Formats: sequence, structure tokens, C-alpha cells
Amino acid sequence: MEEGCMINSHFLGISLFMRCLRMLVRILVLLYLAGAPALAQTLCQPNASNGYKVRISIKTALGNQAYEWNENEMFLFRATMAFAMRRYYKTETYNVDNIIMCNQTLRVSFWFVVTSPENSTMLIPNADVEKAVSMSRHRINNAFLLTDRTLEFLGIHPTLAAPVNPDTPPWLIVFGVVIGAVFAGIIALLVSSLLQKRRKEKGMMEDGQDEEDRQMKGVENDNVLDGIYNRGFTDDDRFTKL
Amino acid sequence: MGKDAARAEWDNPMQFVLSCVSYAVGLGNVWRFSYLCQMHGGGGFLIPYMLMLVLLGVPLFYMELAIGQKMRLGSIGAWRAISPYLGGVGLASVVTSMYLCLYYNVINAWSFWYLFHSFQSVLPWAECPVNSNLTGHVEECERATPTQYFFYRETLDISGSIEENGGIHMGQALCLLLAWIIVYLFIVKGVKSTGKVVYFTATFPYLVLIIYLIRGVTLHGAINGVKYMFTPKMEQLANPTTWINAATQVFFSLGLGFGSLIAFASYNQYNNNFEKQAIVVSMVNSSTSIFASIVTFSIYGFKATFNYESCLERVRLLLLNTFDLAEDTISLESVNHWIAELNRTHPEQFASLGGRLETCDLEAELDTAVEGTGLAFIVYSEAIKNMPVSQLWSVLYFIMLLLLGMGSMLGNVIAVITPLSDLKFISHYMSTKTLNGLVCLFCLLLGLGFTTRSGNYWFTMFNDYGATFSLLFIVLIEVITVCYIYSGENKFEKDVEDMLGHRLNWYWKIMLAGVSPILLIALFLFYIVNYIQGGTPTYQAWNKELGKSVVTEYPPYAQAFIGLLLASSVCCIPLTALYTYCKKRNLASGKRERTVSTVSA
Repeated sequence: MEEGCMINSHFLGISLFMRCLRMLVRILVLLYLAGAPALAQTLCQPNASNGYKVRISIKTALGNQAYEWNENEMFLFRATMAFAMRRYYKTETYNVDNIIMCNQTLRVSFWFVVTSPENSTMLIPNADVEKAVSMSRHRINNAFLLTDRTLEFLGIHPTLAAPVNPDTPPWLIVFGVVIGAVFAGIIALLVSSLLQKRRKEKGMMEDGQDEEDRQMKGVENDNVLDGIYNRGFTDDDRFTKL
Repeated sequence: MGKDAARAEWDNPMQFVLSCVSYAVGLGNVWRFSYLCQMHGGGGFLIPYMLMLVLLGVPLFYMELAIGQKMRLGSIGAWRAISPYLGGVGLASVVTSMYLCLYYNVINAWSFWYLFHSFQSVLPWAECPVNSNLTGHVEECERATPTQYFFYRETLDISGSIEENGGIHMGQALCLLLAWIIVYLFIVKGVKSTGKVVYFTATFPYLVLIIYLIRGVTLHGAINGVKYMFTPKMEQLANPTTWINAATQVFFSLGLGFGSLIAFASYNQYNNNFEKQAIVVSMVNSSTSIFASIVTFSIYGFKATFNYESCLERVRLLLLNTFDLAEDTISLESVNHWIAELNRTHPEQFASLGGRLETCDLEAELDTAVEGTGLAFIVYSEAIKNMPVSQLWSVLYFIMLLLLGMGSMLGNVIAVITPLSDLKFISHYMSTKTLNGLVCLFCLLLGLGFTTRSGNYWFTMFNDYGATFSLLFIVLIEVITVCYIYSGENKFEKDVEDMLGHRLNWYWKIMLAGVSPILLIALFLFYIVNYIQGGTPTYQAWNKELGKSVVTEYPPYAQAFIGLLLASSVCCIPLTALYTYCKKRNLASGKRERTVSTVSA
């Protein structure tokens, strides 16, 4: 009996030890897990020098069809940012864990920083993040059904569309049409007046005789008399009572 | 009546009425009347306007038509026939009309420019163009507005002051060329062609105005503008400037003193009933002014409401972004409530907003009175760009402006050509077609000066000083002549009775002989006093850096040019009188000598 009790207490001690070890491991794991975000939190801070603030206006962009901003959308954002970093650096090492976000507000705005895949405590500098975002801006916008104005990266200016410069400015085309029509009108007018003149000449030749007679009457002493209406002459007789 | 039988005539009296309507209803009815209504108490302005119309406008209009129809000559010949010493009145009219011709067609050129630019998917004055490295918009455009930038930079390419000249803007020059070719086409066959054109130029603008009225009153916020316009502010009636502006508006809107009305009436049949027509045209002109100002104010109301709501939206976004509130907490209506609320709860953060917080005021937006050619292009195009299907509305609007402007141009050019073609030594050497072409070519070449970089400043100078003062003087001399010099007062009465078949009404007699001359003298004196008191004449120069207009004084040579403008037309009257007097004296002394020699021989 004594041997069984001794073995039992021996077993008890070992199981206790194992339990303690497990608890310790669990505590350590918990500490580590708790610590990691704490570590991440120190990396991501508002007004951090290597982070950017993002502002999203879903209701302005989509109105009735606005979706709700929740954890899943946050996950999509991190995935999209990781995609943008991959595309910029042309490597496959970036992952969602490398995008850390903090300070989320009701506005739907938050800060994010990007950590390097090799060293999780090192942040990617601002300039590189900016270039990566600019390069994939169109894809990022489309992932959220937003535009440059409704998905704002404060500090990163959107590249404006290059102006379309056609060879002939469009106003010149309309001008050409109008002035062509006007010249056509002028030519039509000239032609019609020419035709009229020719018709009149034909008519004149037929009554040439009457023309001569009429002209003879106005000539006296080689002076052509020009009758001028005398405005001083008033027909006052009408108004006299008698 | 040998020569008169060959004179061209309107095909029917309707053409004459329509050409008078087309000439009188011009750009001023659309812009200047609305501006005056806004400045002088809305609906209350109609009282002085109607009074001045009855006392001043209609009698003078009647008088000019009567003279033209009786004398059957342009302004120079008509006044010379009334009294040989007063041929200068007609000459002064021609000179003033010539100045008007030079600069008025530039407005039509701008209308063409805007019209041609309306055929694009995005109106060019809707957005600022991007700068060369694609990071933002052009600076000048950012400081001003896109519509201002389009007008001052892309349309005019304006320089900083009247002294800085520059090259000719090719686009403007082409549009001016087009405008003059079209004017030539309209007048090439004299009244035969003009008579047909006015059917269109007089009626189509009304169609567009009706369409715009329907569109205007259905716009969001239009009711604010219309309410603002019609709310009478009766205290403005006590202000003498209101009455003076009403008189001036009636006067210039009817186009008195330019000689156009005399020229139009000279092509009438001798017994045409011009009395009824004078009343009809004046009434049509005034009602068009009122109608057009309803349209204008509904558009202003839309624009003011749009700007006000944009301002509210900007403030709303600013508050949301600064305080990181959810998007739907602040709506447009509750912005002001939230400003007070946030100021109370977060005072330091609110103070950090500082100057970025704008105050949005609908009344202030409506109060920005706008007047004048350039400003009207800017304001209207700004309102149009915010309408749905803006290209269509833009095209319609500028076609209407073009027709109004072209109709007035017809009157201006005919006022110059008719007296010239009546002069014997000109009609002997060239046909009417050639004369018309030469006048148009001459005006085109000189008008190119208004398309240079500083051209707009010269344009404003001509607009402000070229016609205003001289016209008052001309019409004053006209009225005094007709009533007191034309062989006594009864002569005019007898002529009118001869033409119309009935005696002059007591209304015409009292107005023409008494009331109108007194009002004219008062206006004339006011202008002189105002000019002297005003100090150095100034103009608005566009400052590129600031993105707005600054008040600048005219340099000395420009002031001298203004004096020349005023003097050149006014001096025609005394100089011609002097010339005729000298000629008569020489003739008289020459006759005496001949008589003596015959007797002695």
C-alpha cells in the first residue's frame, strides 16, 4: 500500500509540475500576444512620421448603396495596401500583417503604417509608401467603389488626369463650319445678283428706243437737269380757311 | 418728288416695326435693366422707369421717327434740311454711331467665341485646367474662379493694365471677322435684305427667352432670386440716383440720338402711322426688359443658392473632418446648429479652425450686383455650367445674345451708312454695295484694336464715354430744334398732320415742348457734375497674381483720349454751324460782287 501511495504522490508532483509549466507557457504566450499588439501600437500612432491618415466618405460616394465600415472592410484595406506594396517593390513578401492600423474614428478615418516584412519593427519610409499608393491608386479606389475625393490619403496628392489635347481645337471646327456657310451665302448672293443684272440687261435692250426718248427730255444746253425737291415749298394752301 | 421716288422702302410696315424692335431690344435689356432693378429696390424701380418712359422716352422716340419719315433722308441730310446750321447734329450722330459700331461688334465676337466653345463634352469654363506637372490646377485659376479665368485669360488674354499692349488674339480676331461678314451680309442689299433678316433677329430671341423662363423658374433656388427682385424697397425711391438711372436706362435702351431711328424711318412710306408704332415699340422694349429680368433673376437665384449650398457643404465637411464625426451626423440644414454646438463643447479645437470656417449667407450672394458686358458673361456662364445638359443651355443662351447683338448692330451700321449714301459726292462715285463693304472693312480693321491684350480696357473706355454724354447733348439740341427753331412750333405740327392725317395730341405737345427738354437738361447737368466730381476716371484692371480686378487710374494719354472721344462728336455741332455761316457769308458777298459787275457792264 505504501508503494502505491508513494507512486501516486510522485505522479501528483509531476502532473502539478506539468500543469504549472503549461500555465507558464500559456501566460508567456498570452503576454507575447498581448505584447505584440502593444509593440505594434507603438509603431502606429497618430501624426507618426512614417504613417498616413486615411479618410473615407462612403455615404458621400454611394448614398443609398453605402456599405457599412466594419472589420471586414478594414481587412480588405490591409489586403489592398499589401497588394500595393507588393506591386511597387515587385516582391511577394508583403502580407496583411505588415499593415498596421490605429486610431479609427466614427468619421471613418484611421492611421496606418507599413512594416517591413523582414523586420517587423522597422517601418517603410513615407516616400516609398506614397509612391506605392500613387502607383496603385486606381486599383485601391476601385476595391472600395470610391474615388480620389472620397478615399483620401492625407498628404498624398492624386495625380490629375492629363488634359486631352486634340489636334484641332473643337471650337475651330465649329467656326470653320459657320464661316463656310457664310461664304456659301455670299457666293449665292453674288450669283443671284449677277443673274438679275443679266436679266435686266436683256430687258433693257428690248426697250432701248423708249430709253433714248426719256433721256433726251432731261438734256438742255448740254446740262443734265437734276430736279431737287424744294423743301422750302409748303403746301399751305390746304390749311387756309377761305 | 423726283429723287425720293427712287428711294428704297420697307416691303411692309411690319418690317419697320420689327427692325425698330430688333434695334431697341438689345443686350442692355437683358443685363443692365436687371442690374438696375437689383440696385434700386427691386419692384419699386418700375415706378421711376415707367414714369421716365412716359415723360421722356416715348415722346423723343416719336419725334425721331417723325423727322425721319418726313425728311426721307439719313440724319445728316434730315437736320440740314430742317436748318442748314444744324447739319452738325446729324454729323455728331454719325460720329457717335461710328464709335458704337467699332466696339459693339466685339461683344458679338465674344458671343461667337463662347458659342463655339460650347460644343464640347465638358464646358471649358466649368473646370480649371491642370498645370504643366499635373499636380494641381493653374494658379491664376485657383485664385479666381474657372469662369473668370476662362473670360480673362483664355478669351481675352488680358494684360495687367491699359498701358501694357500685346499682340492680337487670333481667335478673337477670327470671331470679329465672322461677325462683320455676317453684318455685311445682312445690310448688303439695303433695306431689302435687312427687312427680311429682322423677321428672325426680332422674334427668335423671344423664343429663347421663353424657353429660358421655363427652365429658369424650374431651377432649384430660382424662387429666391425672383422673390429678391420683386420685393420692393420703397426707400430707394427717395434716392435721386434711382431716378437718374431710370431716365438714362430709358434713354439708351430706346437708342435715341444715334440716328438709327431717323434712318429706319426714312425708308417708310410717307403716310405710315408712326404714332401707333412708336408706342408699340416702346412698350415692347420695356416689357422685354421686365420679362428678361425675371429670367435673369431666376438664374441669379439659382446661382446664389448653388453657391450658398456649396459653401454649407464645405463647412459641413470641414466640421466632420476636424472633429472626426460620422458622416451622417451633420446634414446641410443642421450645419449652423452644429457650429454653435461644437463651439460650446470643444472650444479649443473649434478655435483651431480659425479662418477656414466660412460664413455662408444667401442674402450676400444675391446682393452681389453684377452688371456690364464682361461680368455678365462670367455670371451667366457660371450659372449655366451648373445646369444639367449645360451644353444645350449654353448654345441657346449665346445664340440669343448673338441675335440681340446683331439686331442692334444692324441699327448702328444703318445709322452710319444711310447718311453717307445720301451725300451726293459719295453716291456718285460708288454703289451702295461698295459703300457698305468699305464701311464694314474700315470698322473691322479699327475694331481689331479691341482684340489685343489690352483691348478690353479700351473697350470699357469706349463703352463708358463714347456715347453717353454726347447723346444727351445731341438729343437736347434735337428737341430744342424741332420745337423752337424749325420755323416756329407749328411747322412740326403741320408736318405730322400731313403725314398722319390728324393733329398732334396734347400729350405729344406738352411732352415735346416742355417736359422732355427740362428732363434732358437736368440729366445733362447731372452728368457734367458727376464727371467733374468723380475725379480722375478709373477702370478695373485684372490682376493676375491676386486673381481679381483692381481699381486703377487711367494714364494721362488715356484721359486725353477720353476727352477727345467726348469732344469729337459734340464739337461737330458748333463747328458745322460755323462752317455753314462762313460759307453763306462768302456766297452772299460773292453774289453782291457779281450784281455790281453786271450793272457796271
